Amino acid sequence: MASRYWKIFLLTEGHDCGEKMLKKRLIPKLLLKEGRTVKGVAFQDLRDVGNPVTNARIYNAQGADELIFLDITASQEKRNILYDIIARTAEECFMPFTAGGGVRSLEDVRQLLLAGADKVSVNTAAVEHPEFMREAAQRFGRQCMVGAVDFKKESNGVYRIYTHGGTVQVEKDPLTWCDELQELGVGEILLTSIDRDGTNTGIDLELTRKVADAVDVPVIASGGVGSLAHLAEGFQDGHASALAVGSLFHFTDQSPIKCQFYLKGEGIDVRVGQ
Amino acid sequence: MKICSRCMIPETHETIMFDGEGVCNVCRQQEVKQEKIDWTTRGRDLVELIEQYRGKNEYDCLIPFSGGKDSTYTVYKLVTEYKVKPLVVSFDHGFLRPRISENNVRTMRKLGVDFLKFTPNWQVVRKIMLESLRRKGDFCWHCHTGIFAYPMQIAVKHNIPLIFWGEPSAEYTSYYSYDNPEEVDEKRFNRFVNLGIAAEDMLGMLDGSITMRDLEPFKYPKLKELRGIGYRSVCLGSYIPWDVKQNVAIIKRELGWQEDDVEGVPPDYRYEKVECMLQGVRDYCKYLKRGYARVSHLTSIDIRNGRLSREAAVEAVKRYEGNRPASLNYFLNLLDITEEEFNGILRKHVVSPHQWPDPSSLPRGEKLHDQDLWPKP
Amino acid sequence: MIAIIDYGMGNLLSVLKAFEHLGEEARVIATPARLADATHVVLPGVGAFPDAMAALTKNGWVDALQREVVEGGKPFLGVCLGMQLLAEFGEENVHCSGLAWIRGGVRRFVLNPKQYKVPHVGWNEITPVDDSLLFRGLGPGATFYFVHSYHMICEDKTDIAAYCDYGYPFPAAIRRGNIFATQFHPEKSQDNGLKVLENFLAYRGA
Repeated sequence: MASRYWKIFLLTEGHDCGEKMLKKRLIPKLLLKEGRTVKGVAFQDLRDVGNPVTNARIYNAQGADELIFLDITASQEKRNILYDIIARTAEECFMPFTAGGGVRSLEDVRQLLLAGADKVSVNTAAVEHPEFMREAAQRFGRQCMVGAVDFKKESNGVYRIYTHGGTVQVEKDPLTWCDELQELGVGEILLTSIDRDGTNTGIDLELTRKVADAVDVPVIASGGVGSLAHLAEGFQDGHASALAVGSLFHFTDQSPIKCQFYLKGEGIDVRVGQ
Repeated sequence: MKICSRCMIPETHETIMFDGEGVCNVCRQQEVKQEKIDWTTRGRDLVELIEQYRGKNEYDCLIPFSGGKDSTYTVYKLVTEYKVKPLVVSFDHGFLRPRISENNVRTMRKLGVDFLKFTPNWQVVRKIMLESLRRKGDFCWHCHTGIFAYPMQIAVKHNIPLIFWGEPSAEYTSYYSYDNPEEVDEKRFNRFVNLGIAAEDMLGMLDGSITMRDLEPFKYPKLKELRGIGYRSVCLGSYIPWDVKQNVAIIKRELGWQEDDVEGVPPDYRYEKVECMLQGVRDYCKYLKRGYARVSHLTSIDIRNGRLSREAAVEAVKRYEGNRPASLNYFLNLLDITEEEFNGILRKHVVSPHQWPDPSSLPRGEKLHDQDLWPKP
Repeated sequence: MIAIIDYGMGNLLSVLKAFEHLGEEARVIATPARLADATHVVLPGVGAFPDAMAALTKNGWVDALQREVVEGGKPFLGVCLGMQLLAEFGEENVHCSGLAWIRGGVRRFVLNPKQYKVPHVGWNEITPVDDSLLFRGLGPGATFYFVHSYHMICEDKTDIAAYCDYGYPFPAAIRRGNIFATQFHPEKSQDNGLKVLENFLAYRGA
């Protein structure tokens, strides 16, 4: 069987596809609070930046590669708002969505997937019960699970991960945790710098590159993008497969498509204007 | 800043890309327009399109109109050459200059068309302008959205499925191209027209006094409703080659269309953006953010059409671009903000590698002849 | 009527909404008997090969599909896992038989993890074979959204409708008569994806 396999494999090899490669991705990140999209600095001082469904439609028209919805609504009862938003977005936007924020149980994952999300992002629940992540990956498929890792660079230069929306420090370093997440079966890692978030100072290139080079799954870097140059750096120096962007799109007139033209001009392989 | 080796547009221009020869994608699109498009076939497509809708409803088509050179030419061309019966619809952004109004009356009377004009609530517009300036460094959100959404609402309300716009966006940017002409639809509206903000978004960004009802004029109609009337929303410039200088000559001759003085622009371009009092401030914002503005655009268009040498363009840009317009005082008064606040807002929107210029060092422009006639806040 | 098969695995909502957006009548069906009413059949799929085959077998889909699609000639579109299931065998956790409508198998990407991350996630370009029906009207270098760790290997190259390149070329889409399938998600590939669905619908049968 193995030899027959190898022969079949070689039969497809002959076709010339040229230099085509997987594109780097730009992913608008939408923080949701009680039905509105919000944005702040390090998850504080939140300002209204729009209606999530119209935001999504706009990003879709602006050539975004995917969307990430992160629900930071405090109350579990208000969960239905999130499902409704995802469902309404799915009606007109035919692109992948990742949803996350407060995902605690397999049922939470199932509900989000049922509502229309393609991937579910988990942070706190995975840190507190790693086996939950393994179970979820096995039940729903690896490609559905995104390991969300929030981190800060402490004053002594050491990196630590955080849970509970950036409020609880855990005695664990992000690189180690990302390795574990990969072993538990996540399909991607969403690596977010809490201290850089909303500051427009660029992503944490040092840690991003370490993680991206160490793990075998794609890394989506997030937190700090404030200019076009930061995007280029994130891909070229940070080795990220994708960048999740908030402030740049909400508080300047940059948009995914404008960024794509810029990145293409810098020699980075992205989709442009689709 | 890197500039196109052919025209005057720099790297801070949205969607620009330079190829191996340093030529920008907008210039390359002009090559497509001039050499690769079969305009004869496109001309036939235009006739076919019009015939598809002619006589089926109260109006053959709807033509959104501002009174500027492009929309005036569009109405002229469609009425006199293609003999359509249009409903001409004007969304009044609140800053139409006096001469434009005279032009418009003359145009409508000469051509003999029904004309509908809508002016939104100024108190609402004023709040929107300031918020838009803060969020995007561009105070024209109400105008961008009103101009593109409101006529679509009228199309649905009055069952006029065929809508004709004028100049294709490929003349300026690469959101769309000449070989892939745009449909002027909601996707385009969201892609770049509304600055990434829909009416439903703006609602949460303003204070509680503004309701969704106040924002209706700026809202794009639902796709279902537009499909319900079988809509087609296209640019005339996708079917006939757009030549701004030729178009202006025609409307001057045939309609008595009058130019006007325009802030910060060489005298040869007195046909440009004559319909807005805030054109000078708008250009100034662009200059502060991106380091270039209208003169660069105008001279670039002339270069691409073989009407101006690069040397002359460089001279014109050096001489006329980057003035602080006299109308800025009017604008600041309108929104009740100081020049420091204005500068503070725009400084945050600088597009690198352009560096924030010192506004106090910029030459001051002359007041336009009609500025004192403009309405007070 | 486009029938979208619900066998417990797959993002049905997006597929349904995509067809509705195109103005077509589409329905999610939970019982094989409903296939009889369909003009077009769609098999979505997200998850593991063995679980999917178990679900299809258990609910009687295998025989119904054989009847309506293979023998009946109804236009069929498999998406992602729904494409891989058409193979003779799959190889996820345990070696497992597929529907065997297409000669070949399914295997995990064989790549250097330092150069190519797995799963293959994101937008990648496809190269259609000449005059491929699914890709009519799409320019060269059209991108689509992929998310998978396994890919098909086709023994008969003429079954391949398009290639994608990720370290090496693999089948991005197949076609054998009335049987179409894509490894990418057309319902997640924005305008290009909608065009592929439109093209599929334009095919009315042998």
